[in-house]
Amino acid sequence: MNFWSEFIVVLARGLIVTLEILSISIPASIILGIILGSLRVYGGKVTSTLSSAVANTFRGLPLIVTLIILFFGLADLKIYLSPFWAATIGFILCGGSYISEYVRTAIYSIEEGQSLAAQSIGMTKFQELIYIILPQAVRRALPAISNEIVYMIKYSSLAFIVGVQEIFSVAKTFNSLYFKSTEIFLTLALIYLILTGIATIIFKIVESKLKIPYS
Amino acid sequence: MKNSDIVLRAVDLYKSYGTVKAIDGVSLEVTRGETKVIVGPNGAGKSTLLKCLNLLIKPDKGRIWLEDVEITNSKTDICKIRQKIGFVFQEFNLFNHLIVLDNVMIGLTKVKKLSKEEAFKRAQEVLELVGVERSLWKRYPAQISGGQKQRVAIARALAMDPIIMLYDEPTSALDPQFVGEILEIIKMLSRNGLTSLIVTHEMGFAREVADEILFMYRGRILEKGPPTQILARPKYEATKRFFKEINRLYGAGG
Repeated sequence: MNFWSEFIVVLARGLIVTLEILSISIPASIILGIILGSLRVYGGKVTSTLSSAVANTFRGLPLIVTLIILFFGLADLKIYLSPFWAATIGFILCGGSYISEYVRTAIYSIEEGQSLAAQSIGMTKFQELIYIILPQAVRRALPAISNEIVYMIKYSSLAFIVGVQEIFSVAKTFNSLYFKSTEIFLTLALIYLILTGIATIIFKIVESKLKIPYS
Repeated sequence: MKNSDIVLRAVDLYKSYGTVKAIDGVSLEVTRGETKVIVGPNGAGKSTLLKCLNLLIKPDKGRIWLEDVEITNSKTDICKIRQKIGFVFQEFNLFNHLIVLDNVMIGLTKVKKLSKEEAFKRAQEVLELVGVERSLWKRYPAQISGGQKQRVAIARALAMDPIIMLYDEPTSALDPQFVGEILEIIKMLSRNGLTSLIVTHEMGFAREVADEILFMYRGRILEKGPPTQILARPKYEATKRFFKEINRLYGAGG
């Protein structure tokens, strides 16, 4: 089998793993981010402090350290995560923490009158958050969330640290067999660019679909 | 007056921001079917007072009753109470992400838990009552004029079937050409028997609509009385000065 046909098969296998990680960690981190961000603003003393602590911890740790703790550190405590899940959970925690920050600031940016109006018709804090504040705040946070997702696509390559056979990892291994780093890594770079490009386009479409007129 | 005829009663309200006494011992009563108007210079505490009455602002001290329920009691479910108190804001505060129709319906479907059909019927009624044209129902707040926004805001409050309406300078943020029509709507609702408490600078309107005018000054109700009395023969120098100033700004007709 020649280099290219073999490379493409290997790369495709890695790409599938990368896509599996992302298809879980992207939606999960957005959901986690919205929940954490909301709790940080709307939660009681305990929940908001706790949520802030979680967010600041995983925002403050180098992702590589988070991944190693999840995989090797937890194993010492007899909690065994597969490489795939250690990486995916790490990405969700990291991405969710960053997104919570964007959601939190977006919530603060919503005019106080929106909250007052919601209260004035008898909404509970929870109803106000779900029906009035979040629909507006998440829209405002979308560009920043999209940015975080682009990051996530790129840092999914760090999964190789805990031994996940994702696309970067298989390319690296493949290179150690063939030593054609220019072809291999340029192709890899191109694939990442396509992935981040697709994500950017999808978010642009979502943003414009959800756009509401502001005066 | 029978106690049951008092819709809203506040006793000895106080609210300070730091050293500033926004409300400095205010008591008031609004009886069923009555319209009271609060006037006074900027910074007198009118808005703060109004927002205290449905606890959008928590007073430091004092008690408030809506009919027989003490709403300043911490055991009272304030969300239930607020459904019965319509509140119209100076800045409209329509929900930016919802079209006109949904602005009115959301309280009905989410708070009152009405079905979509019932909520639509009710929304239709109130929107027609305040004169929001059907062609605007699918628009977002940013796409309609200030006058229409305030109509929708009034409709949103009315839809909840309030037993009293609180209006916080409902025409102050409007372009002049819309002021008259909004005042007409408020007057119409008041004449139809909707108990109302209105903060406004429109003296002509106050004279026409009010059963009683309360003049607020430096966090207190300095004097009160029927419009004829308070406008013609104010007791205090501050009241006189205020009416003079208002007449200069708005003209005698209000």
